[in-house]
Amino acid sequence: MRLLTHNMLSSNIKGVEKGFPLRIEAEKVVEKPVEMNADFLRKMFEKVEWKAFLEASRSMGYAQLPEEVDSGMLESDEFLSRFHHALLELHLEEGALVCPETGRRFPVNKGIPNMLLHEDEV
Amino acid sequence: MALLATSTIAFKTINTQIRSRSFLPAQRHLPLSSSPPSSSFFRTVSVKAMELEQKNPMVIDENGVLKKGIAEFYDESSAIWEDIWGDHMHHGFYPPDSTVSLSDHRAAQIRMIEQALRFASIPLAGDERKWPKKIVDVGCGIGGSSRYLSEKFGATAIGITLSPVQAQRANALAAAQDLANKVSFQVADALDQPFPDGQFDLVWSMESGEHMPDKAKFVSELARVAAPGATIIIVTWCHRDLGPDEESLKPWEEKHLKKICDAFYLPAWCSTADYVRLLESLSLQDIKSEDWSPYVAPFWPAVIRSALSWKGLTSLLRSGLKTIKGALAMPLMIEGFKKDLIKFAIITCRKPE
Repeated sequence: MRLLTHNMLSSNIKGVEKGFPLRIEAEKVVEKPVEMNADFLRKMFEKVEWKAFLEASRSMGYAQLPEEVDSGMLESDEFLSRFHHALLELHLEEGALVCPETGRRFPVNKGIPNMLLHEDEV
Repeated sequence: MALLATSTIAFKTINTQIRSRSFLPAQRHLPLSSSPPSSSFFRTVSVKAMELEQKNPMVIDENGVLKKGIAEFYDESSAIWEDIWGDHMHHGFYPPDSTVSLSDHRAAQIRMIEQALRFASIPLAGDERKWPKKIVDVGCGIGGSSRYLSEKFGATAIGITLSPVQAQRANALAAAQDLANKVSFQVADALDQPFPDGQFDLVWSMESGEHMPDKAKFVSELARVAAPGATIIIVTWCHRDLGPDEESLKPWEEKHLKKICDAFYLPAWCSTADYVRLLESLSLQDIKSEDWSPYVAPFWPAVIRSALSWKGLTSLLRSGLKTIKGALAMPLMIEGFKKDLIKFAIITCRKPE
């Protein structure tokens, strides 16, 4: 699971007010290089919830992203390449996504999160 | 010809043996507005549920049983489908009364996607500012639609399925097609989508609605994750609309659908009109629906022919009981269409701005 995906997922357990963002428990993180596409990155920059992304990338062991961002930074190759790396090249292979309110763990196996709820969580 | 004749006889023999085993609790196909089921219905359900609980110490829970069945059915059968039919697990769209060969089917499946987009008034080439940028594929199979739509629109697509095997395969295909940065798949329930509200500008459900045990919840989740101004496209199997004097389908129709439900892990069916009513109740706009049954007529005969081919038969025999049972139910789909009981429906709408 890439961080681009993590930025779209939330906990939908019954009664949870704020299920986003899910905390990451990383057991196995794999880096898979992929070609950078600056246009795509610029489009994604508009959509990404930055704080959640920053926190998530730290959980994955990458701490090179700035705290505050603005679209001016998209002109910098250095920034783009760090953004690209964190967004698309870090994969959570094994671990869990944790509901911020209830602490419930959604397991991640072979890179795929299992977001199915139990009967009593619906 | 001899092979076909022998195969057909084998088909019918295995058919009668296997069809008598029911994998799911009894169901009736109730219109959404009907009165509660009768007590005999509950008795049958509870007996079946007790049998299942004895085999598997889970909490007695029909929907849980159904979801598990769906996941296992697709875990078991997706590879064999993909091997013969490719990565689109939906009907093709054919000009009426056409004769088609197997090689036309992939083009027809693509045409189904394109026709659905057109029906929903998604702008075609030239008006790219109005194209969707974030797509959710609800009941994504092995991701054929997600990858196609992502490539077409340059959008991100996220797909959800109950089947871990499908999610795995879908991600692998995305990686192989260089789309892994735009398209991803997870295991999740369409009735409880793991997304915050208003995330997506295209909400896509291609032939997954028929698996949803709670149509109201299904539709309300589609609406919830849709962003203001987003388009929702549902392509699904329905039963015929009920007449103004009808409370429910006729007994033979209920029985017929039940056999199909058993084999394909489907809950009770509803009608196209039921979907329209649900969308209306959520104040969605520009609601349109159409019966596309005439455009899918060649599909099931083609699937049966492919199942009876040498490759099809050997794959089926290697697959598993669930897949075989599903394959044996295919003639029931053809019969259902012919008798105007089963409808292939498209329903689209827009979330208000």
